[in-house]
Amino acid sequence: MPETIRRSWLLTPVSDTEAVGRAYLSGADVVLLDLVEFIAESDKPTARDALESAIHSVAAGGAEVFVQVDPELLYADLRAAVHPGLTGVVVARLESPDQVVEAHGLIGQLEEERGLLPGSLEIIAALETARGNHQAYEICIASPRVTGATLGRADLVMDLRPEPSSEIHLMQYLMQRLVVVANAAGVIPYGAWWRAPDRGMLATPENTLEAAIRGRSIGFKGSFCVRENQVASLNQGFTPSREELNDARELLETYADGLSRGVAVVQQGGRIVDAEAASQARQLLELAAATAVREERAKAALEQRPVPSP
Amino acid sequence: MPGERQVRRSGLTMPVVTRRFIDNAWHRGCDFINLDLEDSVPQHLKGYARGLIKDAIANVTRGGAEAFTRINHDLILADLDGIVWPGLSKVNYPKAEYAWEIQKIDEIVTRLEKERGIRPGTVEIGANIETSVGVANSYEIASASPRVKEFGGAAGYDMSRDLGVEMFVGFDQFVYGKGEVELACRALGLEPHTAPFTANTTGSVSDSDRAFREAEAARKCGFRIGGGLHPSVVDPQNRGFTPTEDEVQDARKVLDQYRSLEGTGKTWQEVDGRVIDRYEAGKARGLLEWAAMCADRDREKGDAISRTQAILDAQQPEQEPQ
Repeated sequence: MPETIRRSWLLTPVSDTEAVGRAYLSGADVVLLDLVEFIAESDKPTARDALESAIHSVAAGGAEVFVQVDPELLYADLRAAVHPGLTGVVVARLESPDQVVEAHGLIGQLEEERGLLPGSLEIIAALETARGNHQAYEICIASPRVTGATLGRADLVMDLRPEPSSEIHLMQYLMQRLVVVANAAGVIPYGAWWRAPDRGMLATPENTLEAAIRGRSIGFKGSFCVRENQVASLNQGFTPSREELNDARELLETYADGLSRGVAVVQQGGRIVDAEAASQARQLLELAAATAVREERAKAALEQRPVPSP
Repeated sequence: MPGERQVRRSGLTMPVVTRRFIDNAWHRGCDFINLDLEDSVPQHLKGYARGLIKDAIANVTRGGAEAFTRINHDLILADLDGIVWPGLSKVNYPKAEYAWEIQKIDEIVTRLEKERGIRPGTVEIGANIETSVGVANSYEIASASPRVKEFGGAAGYDMSRDLGVEMFVGFDQFVYGKGEVELACRALGLEPHTAPFTANTTGSVSDSDRAFREAEAARKCGFRIGGGLHPSVVDPQNRGFTPTEDEVQDARKVLDQYRSLEGTGKTWQEVDGRVIDRYEAGKARGLLEWAAMCADRDREKGDAISRTQAILDAQQPEQEPQ
């Protein structure tokens, strides 16, 4: 199975018809249609009705489509969200494994009802509260549908504010904890290392790029954002750079060269090159290749030509 | 008393055996006084010190401060018997490591409250995390008794000693431990007793500028609880933890801006480069509430200090407090 590339997740309120109309052009790897954060309570019924067609329209640029649902309104939100074309749901503010089990069951029923492949829909756990983070591991392993975890807007939900250093209080701990827990549970950690004045995944394109690069450096594979002008920054920040790739190729050559001489550990500059380093370099090249395929597919979708197979 | 938040911006920890400190405590302007039976009392005076607590509680609260007592980690029974008297708000338990310790203290305090005519549940337990074992068990410790209302630690002198690291360095050596403790605290809905990291390489406990900066940084991160060892940090902490008039005005403005979103179908707007949404509104509401609580508390303490002053003047008109 080719590596899943989900560098950028653009949160788009379903009730904002203009934003929904533009989303397919955003270049986001994932369009995350939102029923939770940016929708007034009174607009939710209308938004749910609009969801099925929104899923189709935002996918026109080759993006995967997820819907962000509210664990308190799970039944209504999932009934509105589960349609062909959906890849999965982000469950906001998850606090316990029981909620995951509940979502898992409901999604299963809806998959069956609506003729979707059983077990195909994914769950991304948004751990935005202290309770959710405290139970992070149990939540991540509560269903095989859980493929990713994120802190979402934890800084706002938990009211975490900037320290004098510009780091947002507690976030360094929470981010590293999430990355470790997610990897232990076999799910993908999503997030970026935001700093003041960035707020709730909102930032200038420049700050978003910095946050993505820092985020990738501690193990995140992609991040959510709120504005279209952040998407390119996330895509760039979570894609290996040309220098990294050149380095990786050089390293593999040196390693192969060593092997041909019967040496498994060689030095390149001041660096030790061994099987581990070679394997990491190979992973980086695979990631770059998968990213290129991802981008080609998006281009093909926009040009409405057949999607090349990986 | 869920939801009931105390104002504890400043407080002095002092050896109960040092008469001069105790007699002057009432006019220091502290929100609380922490009477110490632990590190600042020599081993051979522990019994004597315990006997002083009952009067000291009455003495130090004359200026409106709350009275706490810090007991010894391994003298729970004797210490509690000596300190749980009317007027005590909290027993601080150092180096908390296991939930059963807190359960034991709760059990004894519950009995003493009953025996001594104290309203049940009055005395809080401060379970202070100061060792690695405590960090590892922090969630169980914090949830061991409903008397634990504030929770923090995993930094400071004892933690440094436990880990064998320098206390006064230019970086935060306690990120993980403090994170564990604060996450447990927040997951249980308790009041976090912590502060953002600010470098202190000198180890000064009496630098009032520094105390103000620290308190201000802590307030801006949403923290409310201070405390120290030297009288010169009391006023800076009171000021640093209290919202400024500008902040109060700004919070009112934020709430107006948030209300203007009503009925528009929008959940947020940007005003002057700032996002106004339910989170910002919640923060503003919290700030106004806190500012009002601080003002009430200052009035309360001011009244108590004048009352005590008047009584002392009537008794000994020629003597001034130091």
